[in-house]
Amino acid sequence: MSGLSHTARRRLRSTPLYVTLWLVGVLMVTPILYALVSGFKSTDQLSQNPFGLPSPWNVSNYTDILADSAFWRMLGSSTLIAVGTTVLTVGTAALAAFGLARFAFKGREVMFTLFTVGLMFPFAVAILPLFVLLRTFGLLDNPWGVILPQAAFGLPMTIVILRGFFREIPGELEEAATLDGCSPLGFFWRILLPMARPALGTVSVLAIVASWNNFLLPLLVFSEPTWWTIPVGVQQFQGQYSSDTARIFAYLVLSMAPALAFYAVAERQLIGGITMGATKG
Amino acid sequence: MTSTQIKEARPAPAKEQADPPANRRPLALRVRDWLTAFSFTVPALVLFALFVLTPILYALYVSFFNWGGFGAPSDFAGGDNYSRLLDDPVFLGDLWRGLLLVLLSVGLQLPFALAMAVLLNQKVRGRAVYRMLFFAPYVLSEVITGVLFAMIFAPDEGLADRVLGAVGLDHVGGLWFADQDWVLPTLFLVMMWKYFGFHMMLYLAGLQGIPAELHEAARIDGANAWQRFRAITLPLLGPTIRISVFLSVIGAIQLFDLVWVTTQGGPDHHSETMAVTLFQFGFKRYQIGYASAISIAMFLISLVFALAYQRFVLRRDTEGALTTMRGNR
Amino acid sequence: MPHAVRSSFSRRRFLGVVSVAGLGTAVLTSCGDSDDGGSTDSQGRTVVEWWHIRTTEPGKTLWPQQAKAYEKAHPDTRIKLVPLENDAFKAKMTALVGTGKLPDMYNTWGGGVLKQQVDAGLTEDITDQVKDWIGDLVPASRVPYEFDGRIYAVPEEIGAVGFWYNKAHFKEAGIASPPATWAAFLDAVKKLKDAGITPIALAGKEKWPGMYYWAYLAIRIAGVDGMQKAADAKDFTGDEFVKAGEHLKELVDLDPFQKGFLGAAYPGPTGQGATMGNAKAAMELMGQWAPNVQSSEGKGLGDDLGFFPFPAVEGGKGKSTDVFGGGGGYALRKGAPKEALEFLKWFVGPENNRVIVKDGGMIPVNTKALDALTDPNLKAVSDLLNSTTAFQLYLDQAYPPAVGQEVNDSVAALIAGSKSPADVARSITQVAKSQ
Repeated sequence: MSGLSHTARRRLRSTPLYVTLWLVGVLMVTPILYALVSGFKSTDQLSQNPFGLPSPWNVSNYTDILADSAFWRMLGSSTLIAVGTTVLTVGTAALAAFGLARFAFKGREVMFTLFTVGLMFPFAVAILPLFVLLRTFGLLDNPWGVILPQAAFGLPMTIVILRGFFREIPGELEEAATLDGCSPLGFFWRILLPMARPALGTVSVLAIVASWNNFLLPLLVFSEPTWWTIPVGVQQFQGQYSSDTARIFAYLVLSMAPALAFYAVAERQLIGGITMGATKG
Repeated sequence: MTSTQIKEARPAPAKEQADPPANRRPLALRVRDWLTAFSFTVPALVLFALFVLTPILYALYVSFFNWGGFGAPSDFAGGDNYSRLLDDPVFLGDLWRGLLLVLLSVGLQLPFALAMAVLLNQKVRGRAVYRMLFFAPYVLSEVITGVLFAMIFAPDEGLADRVLGAVGLDHVGGLWFADQDWVLPTLFLVMMWKYFGFHMMLYLAGLQGIPAELHEAARIDGANAWQRFRAITLPLLGPTIRISVFLSVIGAIQLFDLVWVTTQGGPDHHSETMAVTLFQFGFKRYQIGYASAISIAMFLISLVFALAYQRFVLRRDTEGALTTMRGNR
Repeated sequence: MPHAVRSSFSRRRFLGVVSVAGLGTAVLTSCGDSDDGGSTDSQGRTVVEWWHIRTTEPGKTLWPQQAKAYEKAHPDTRIKLVPLENDAFKAKMTALVGTGKLPDMYNTWGGGVLKQQVDAGLTEDITDQVKDWIGDLVPASRVPYEFDGRIYAVPEEIGAVGFWYNKAHFKEAGIASPPATWAAFLDAVKKLKDAGITPIALAGKEKWPGMYYWAYLAIRIAGVDGMQKAADAKDFTGDEFVKAGEHLKELVDLDPFQKGFLGAAYPGPTGQGATMGNAKAAMELMGQWAPNVQSSEGKGLGDDLGFFPFPAVEGGKGKSTDVFGGGGGYALRKGAPKEALEFLKWFVGPENNRVIVKDGGMIPVNTKALDALTDPNLKAVSDLLNSTTAFQLYLDQAYPPAVGQEVNDSVAALIAGSKSPADVARSITQVAKSQ
């Protein structure tokens, strides 16, 4: 049933498809590519020659930023806060999800509902009282001041995903473990957690991305640049160098790079997490 | 597997079935079991109560006061802040703009995402590259996205106007974020750039759960591509689509960072969202009581919508539909 | 599902989780609030935490540099500078005020915002400590920080709003001298338009620059006294205020602003400052910092730059020497260490003020430093300030924040065409009454 004419026909038929994809691809990549190339120009060059390649190539925008310890410090605090948030969210959520998935106890559904209702709270809703609370605890200008609320706000989603995952593990396995003398806690971390590693990976990636991109909370909690995260830094940088367009482009590109690199590495977990989050309970 | 299939294939929760009915067991055992189960949830519960519930309850409390943020709230206002909401043209405008964004999203973004998913579900050269590319903006923060597009859509100087000018379409381009009528469509374009890949990924996951034999059988029966899409793909993708609609509604309700960075809600409130209004009143006007009322209203709107949607639209699709809503537009 | 049980690995990870979570609670409980007095650093110096908003040059370098100089001369004091971008500063202060504890020394613009902090008992009354030297400071600069004869902050900057204009553009349009009346002003706008020049640069995204027009018109029509009366009665529906809106509407109807002004910021390559500095518009109504911004965001106008006071309105009660402006000052929190005030005294003293005027391009707040000012444009502003017949503080500072924001918001709506002059007066009154 194959044959040259068949392939040729198929190729012809699929041309519009390729054109469409290519066009959308161009639209998607242009903003980022434009920022990347513009970063290699001076601002004057950019306004005279917006489309062409830079001539001369001007690397100082990028090298200046990379040579600035402020940029690396920002990267460091973003990383530390993301890791702290993730460890805390996933750790406590895994325990809770286990309790909510594997035991039937009074008040379980109420508790689970409470957590799922938490999904309806955007940060903005709580930001004012949250700030007061953090101040009372002395957590302003302290990474915990961002980590703890972020972890708390990340709980609902993580619990919902992990609970769904834990519930799929057959009961026979737990019975067997119990017969072998495993306590519930022993079952949880010797058997359940290792089995749930793909799920833990995906929720971790989701937590990292959420923390990495958070803006409002770090903006309010950190008054000193010591702990500024990338989104806060980008906003401040834009305010400071507002007239140096090319430099801001370079800054944007360098700020995007870690997220894109992370995406390249953790693509599977990220996409898995997103689809799992939307389809599983 | 589609989500429905996952749901059907899932074994019943283990403990509930394996155990004899709880009330027939000795009390001491039941208490011990309860304590074990409960203790697992304690760390999460403490964290959640401290940093989510407490602030929300506090916001609820404050929303019944006229409070400028000084000392303890003392000027009790009853429901005044709430009745004022219903009279506030900006807040009502927020609702209207939110609805508009949802309609645009459901009418344009989601169909577009679906079309791309269908295209990329075929054997296409470079499929992995396209998929990765379309999804990539999702991982960028809204702040970076906002700053980038504010520069691209700068009147005259930005890339958008320059490209239009270069191809002789100057009259089409123009003010983008700077124009009262253009600002919302421009904002939507940026949202679409950032988020359509996310919805596309959901659809792709759904599409991969549709058995190829179904399409094969329909093809043999003489159904063309469109008929197959209507009769097989769309119905089987139903649950995924319903969830993706849900997520974009919740996303629109909570939209903040992107608007704040690009327009701060302007010009003249034409791109303002509830979260932006809340921030304006809370951090610029010091009317924290009123700002709290806005936040409670936001919460109630999300909640009522979520419950209604669960009850009437999702019904038996999944119970996990509430998931991944944060940050997904 | 594969039954891959690798318990050692996961246990290690799990223990990690637990220990980090434990650390969290430890931090939570150990970090209580220590109130009162200043803290000391490891070398036993008293730390004065100073929040200011000098995040752009020249202040960005000058402020830390001066603080260092002070520390050198006073080894027992450490000045801990916390520079914050203007909007971020205001947002944080709002939240901080709710918690009842402010930084030792912080930026203030006086007026309603400071009054609220004073009423809440958060700000130190410094009347008795400063009485020996406060008289050296420019009288107009002190107005915003005094309530009922008590002083709550020390001015560090003073300035006024007026029209900055491009002399070359005016010449090209055939405008012989800067307009002195509103009618002449509108006429000049028409001439500029006829000559193909954008008459006015305006940052419509940020609402405060538009507010200046309405405020100045109201000052010219009602007089500073009339403004005060309206503020006291919380009623802005009087004829004067509606008229101010109508006059502004006359201007807006001429379509005098640059393309895309509704989305324009004040700074940035397409902002109001750059538009002016790159000679793409003939005028802007702005404070004394305008020349700095014109040359940092754009090319700057050099000798083409001129300054004229806001024109008089025919039949109005205000004079054209009535000034709308303000500055900045530093207030101390209740219970701030006494070293903070010592530093402040030195900071606004003649010696340091001269350095600030020379290197920072600012208008002197200390009358003993007036001689340090050489720039002709700033001198024009300084002279205006020193010959002031009446002084009106920036409305968003003079009024409670909600009212100030409503003025900004309503005037922005008037300029965008969605509110009428009467609507503006009504909206402001409504918010004022609710305070």
